Amino acid sequence: MATELDYDRSLHDKEHEAGPFEVTESQIQAFSRGIAETNPIYTDPAAAKAQGFRAIVAPPTFCTIMVRQVSLSDINLKFNGAPMGGGMHAGQRVQSRAPIMAGDALTASSHLKDVYAKTGRSGTMVFIVWETTFRNQDGTVVADVQESFVRRG
Amino acid sequence: MYLDMHSHSVSSDDSRATVEQYLKWIGVLRKRGHVVDGIVLTEHRKFDFDKDYSALASQYGVVVLKGSELDTRYGHVLVYGVTEPLTREIDFSNVAMDTRELLKAARQHDAYAVPAHPGRFGIGLTEYIQQGETFDDVRIVERLNGGSRKGENERAWELCDNMGYLGVGGSDAHLTSHIGTCLTKFPTDISTEAELVEALLSEQFQPVWLKDATNGTTGE
Repeated sequence: MATELDYDRSLHDKEHEAGPFEVTESQIQAFSRGIAETNPIYTDPAAAKAQGFRAIVAPPTFCTIMVRQVSLSDINLKFNGAPMGGGMHAGQRVQSRAPIMAGDALTASSHLKDVYAKTGRSGTMVFIVWETTFRNQDGTVVADVQESFVRRG
Repeated sequence: MYLDMHSHSVSSDDSRATVEQYLKWIGVLRKRGHVVDGIVLTEHRKFDFDKDYSALASQYGVVVLKGSELDTRYGHVLVYGVTEPLTREIDFSNVAMDTRELLKAARQHDAYAVPAHPGRFGIGLTEYIQQGETFDDVRIVERLNGGSRKGENERAWELCDNMGYLGVGGSDAHLTSHIGTCLTKFPTDISTEAELVEALLSEQFQPVWLKDATNGTTGE
């Protein structure tokens, strides 16, 4: 019996574009407070400028909130012929590529990276992995965010 | 020699430990008086043909071998001595493969398959044997698993006693400080995957806890 993991495989080859998302000073400051970040380049415009940045800088994981604004497609997942029920978030990885600063306008490009099944004490799970690349208004890649979602059979 | 027969690096989807972190930690264990000569990286549902850890192994003086841990219909199975013909015959990503077919295919292609954590509740081989399934080609199981919950290694031990299986030991490490918690003691040196398969076929080995793998000087 082979595993029948059925989903819309065409999504692997499709880039889903979203944005632009404006990055504001207040967003960065709120995010920094939320993660207890105290480095002044993340909170104080004057300190950021003194370090050579044109505005306050977003902490490296800032795009974890931006990625929540990206709508991802339903992959129509079925496992052994049956639709898989509700899922949950299973983790994020952020690769920071270049500084994000207040005043930037980010665009997001997402594609389906991987879909795989695994088994454990609690049964079979299927992981759905999306990868989103963020670029700034100059086209520079500023971050890659990989998000996983898990569904149970 | 003492080998940790079951570990996962960042190459697995659920581990955050790098191979170098494991090797550094083994240095710490050695300073504490433990003997850990090598590890086998048994990544989940894959085999890393493209990964070469020989430079790291040489730098840290630790044998680093590669294997796989596959999900099957009847629990997880460690595969040692993976060969390209085996990966062509068996779909390593198929979590519903028949364990028995994997066991046979492994031997046909110069590898050796060992059911992992057979006492694990809900997924271990013990569960399926209790349901009436038979596995004629099983000779060795993972008798000591460092990721087991209370009672699971005991069930594996009982399974070995009841079925006459031999046992190996592995940490099932996904975190740096878990490497080496369970080991397998071999009477001979092993430096390649093929030699590991030969050592398993010789049936001369035993599973041990880290606390029992000491050089007799400063063990914990």
